Amino acid sequence: MSSSTSVGTDEHPAVVLTGITKRFPGVVANSDVHLTVRRGEVHALCGENGAGKSTLMKILYGMQPPDEGTIEVDGEQVRFRTPSDAIKAGIGMVHQHFMLADNLTVQENVVLGAEALHGIGKKARARIIELSGRTGLNVDPGVLVEQLGVADRQRVEILKVLYRGAKVIILDEPTAVLVPQEVDELFETVRGMQAQGYTFLFISHKLDEVRAIADSVTVIRRGTTVGSADPKTVSSRQLAEMMVGSELPSPETRESTVTDKVVLDVKGLRLLAPDGTRPILDDIDLVVRSGEVVGIAGVEGNGQTELVEAVMGMRKAGGGTITLLDKDLSKLGTLARREAGIGYVPEDRHRHGLLLTQPLWYNRILGYQTRKPTSKGVWLDIDGAKKDTERIVADFDVRTPGIDVPAAALSGGNQQKLVVGRELSGDPVLLIASHPTRGVDVGAQALIWDEIKRARAAGLAVLLISADLDELIGLSDTIKVMLRGRLVADADPSTVTPEDLGSAMTGAGSTSAAVHETATVEEGEN
Amino acid sequence: MISTLEEKPHVPAAPRKRRVPGWAVGMISVAGAVLLLSTTSYLTGFPQMTSSGTTQTAVRLALPILLAGLGGLWAERAGVVNIGLEGMMIMGTWGAAWAGYQWGPWAALVAAVVFGSLGGLLHAIATVTFGVNHIVSGVAINLLGAGLTKYLSTLLFQPLSNNPRQSPPVQPFDTFSAAGLSDWLRELENEQRVIISDVAGILGGLVTGVSPLTMIAILLLPLSYFLLWRTRFGLRLRSVGENPHAADSLGVKVYLHKYVAVIVSGGLAGLGGAALVLNPGQLSYLEGQTGGRGYIGLAAMIFGNWRPGGLLGGAALFGYADGLQLRSGGEVVLGLVYGVVILLGVIVVWQLYRRKWFSAAAAIVVAVLMYLLYITLDEIPGEFVSYAPHMVTLAVLAVASQRLRMPAADGVVYRRG
Repeated sequence: MSSSTSVGTDEHPAVVLTGITKRFPGVVANSDVHLTVRRGEVHALCGENGAGKSTLMKILYGMQPPDEGTIEVDGEQVRFRTPSDAIKAGIGMVHQHFMLADNLTVQENVVLGAEALHGIGKKARARIIELSGRTGLNVDPGVLVEQLGVADRQRVEILKVLYRGAKVIILDEPTAVLVPQEVDELFETVRGMQAQGYTFLFISHKLDEVRAIADSVTVIRRGTTVGSADPKTVSSRQLAEMMVGSELPSPETRESTVTDKVVLDVKGLRLLAPDGTRPILDDIDLVVRSGEVVGIAGVEGNGQTELVEAVMGMRKAGGGTITLLDKDLSKLGTLARREAGIGYVPEDRHRHGLLLTQPLWYNRILGYQTRKPTSKGVWLDIDGAKKDTERIVADFDVRTPGIDVPAAALSGGNQQKLVVGRELSGDPVLLIASHPTRGVDVGAQALIWDEIKRARAAGLAVLLISADLDELIGLSDTIKVMLRGRLVADADPSTVTPEDLGSAMTGAGSTSAAVHETATVEEGEN
Repeated sequence: MISTLEEKPHVPAAPRKRRVPGWAVGMISVAGAVLLLSTTSYLTGFPQMTSSGTTQTAVRLALPILLAGLGGLWAERAGVVNIGLEGMMIMGTWGAAWAGYQWGPWAALVAAVVFGSLGGLLHAIATVTFGVNHIVSGVAINLLGAGLTKYLSTLLFQPLSNNPRQSPPVQPFDTFSAAGLSDWLRELENEQRVIISDVAGILGGLVTGVSPLTMIAILLLPLSYFLLWRTRFGLRLRSVGENPHAADSLGVKVYLHKYVAVIVSGGLAGLGGAALVLNPGQLSYLEGQTGGRGYIGLAAMIFGNWRPGGLLGGAALFGYADGLQLRSGGEVVLGLVYGVVILLGVIVVWQLYRRKWFSAAAAIVVAVLMYLLYITLDEIPGEFVSYAPHMVTLAVLAVASQRLRMPAADGVVYRRG
């Protein structure tokens, strides 16, 4: 990771953005942004969610035109109308949400839109195999993308960019979907490619990663660049304060509030995959006590979603019992389980938490259509719902022009605050929080953490699923690691590090005393 | 407490499964189908099941379904659900008749394609540009197609044919038979030898009395495959149906490709309409002539898992069921039930081999029911027989749709940005 690699001082910088301003109706996404990226460096762009990083990158990648300001590439001023213009200028983008068609092969995904280079046949295949090595991708180009894991999909994205001859590669939050080991592999790939002369624009709000990989850092806050820093001398805390502009929130919980009272008791929960061949949940035993936060760590797709949905009754379990405060929930439907005292923050608030086109007060009723204050007998209580929505908006600091606007008008953080507020409203005894701060800004994150901590102190039991290991370690009283449908290890949040957890999550084995293996070897099938 | 977990670290690349190539699957399916039909025909004693006459009728009846299905394939691969195929097909029938009685069969084909394409264009404008729900737009086009042609035929056909529901007769295509081969196969068929005669009957039906339209339709299938799977244009079109956001981010013109796909889809459905009008049995436009074949075409495409080869299989199945009931009536259709029992027997063995107990048990139950049906009835009632293709559609889709993989963004309205 030497910053001296081919950073020429006599040459033009690879990319210079000057005075970029972009307005959307009602918001200024970027105002007077300045950014200089030297050739051959890894340049990090840091900022909170909603700070305008993505808009800026969309402008640089030609997806949106800037209202003001200029873009220079290799010393020449350019105007990008479409991404193809940017691609022609040697700029490529790896999107945070993968832009891949699952049902097409690796080769088809790579050559799409760039068929003019090497056609779509054998020549293209040869070129892809040649480039694959640089990204560490080790699969046949004829494999369907849906068969690849997350890390390989990301390599396919990088491959797409390389295939088009990009010299400047924008990585938009590339580590958000990776476990620590995969992050290390990605960084090795990036360094290897840097040595071959590629330039990277690395967008992230994970400051440790930024400091590990970047040669220089630019911080963006509320749509404008607030300064640059040398990642070798600056601390994560200083960087973070530049990003937020104030003191930082932390997920840390202080003293334990765990009691003896068992709230949720899951015994022998099993679930088979729809094709009936392999178990998605394999004999899960789980206890959550009053005042306790139990965190579930695991690479996505190892059964966490299904566990939550089975407990909520959204999926029919194949066996086992679910008990809430001595009441057997196993045969009840989702509504009855909610009424029994489960609050649920779903992992995807757009799919399960909210009706985006409906006003906020209407969303308040969802899941509470049988309970006060949103219903009276068989009738909905619209006034009560509106009044209680006002309360949530005030208590949970939901920033909205009013409770009659559709949920879609709110930013992700404010939507999530509304969901959390609603789920903590019905006096729940158990809160199931799936990725409660995914895709929300630091302010909303702090508030959600505080509310969870407060509810926990008041005796709420919390089942927390998160991909953010810092959040998991900070909030949880107990961490369980989930792998291929089993709870395979326990970890002590007071001593475990994200790296240890990461090892346990991939099943690579643990090297830490803080992670205890719980699964005993039962059968030798795999 | 440091110890390794029982499972190994994940392997980055899934090893590639060895797969049977598509053409081999096709050949095996065809061979299996012929074998099944020959066996059934032999065991039930109905030589009509594999006669050249039945095959010929089946081909004629399969054509509109095949063309409608191809139309569906084009649209859905680009991510537009085209339930409006029926309406586009109706427009095609009217166009074919209108041009056909005046200027002959070739003009009929051109007019059918143009009329169908207009329906496709309308669907594209509604779904792609204005983001109307695909089903709503499709149903509207079906209603529009029926209404518009009714109006136009009252206006233009009634003065000539004295019937608002029918056009003046259309001049047919000349048909061709493979010289020599056709006669030789007929001799072979007449010898009534097991398997050989059956195969000869089926082949004979395929090479006797072939119209240019049949050849065009058959050629359109590999042509569509080549265009959609082997060219740059096709890759772009399919990518639009799988993930339009990704396609857009790579500079693919999403709207353009959807427009082209849906217009081609309409044109193909219209051509399917022409195949109905130019069918030697009718040779004119009749109101209600399509009889839901647009939907059956769509079903054939779904049965074929959004692939041209499977689509051909679906169209052949429906065409055959239809052809058999037209040529031979209820007694022989009942023989088909016997064939289904044999097929289920094979499935049972296969499912047992794969240790799918539940599927095997279900197949056994259905097989027993079918067999009871076969031995208790003398013939299937006439009212029911004419409905056979629709029943086949229903049954096949209910069973086959379990393992299908549609384009990921099929039916999703795409908005840029």
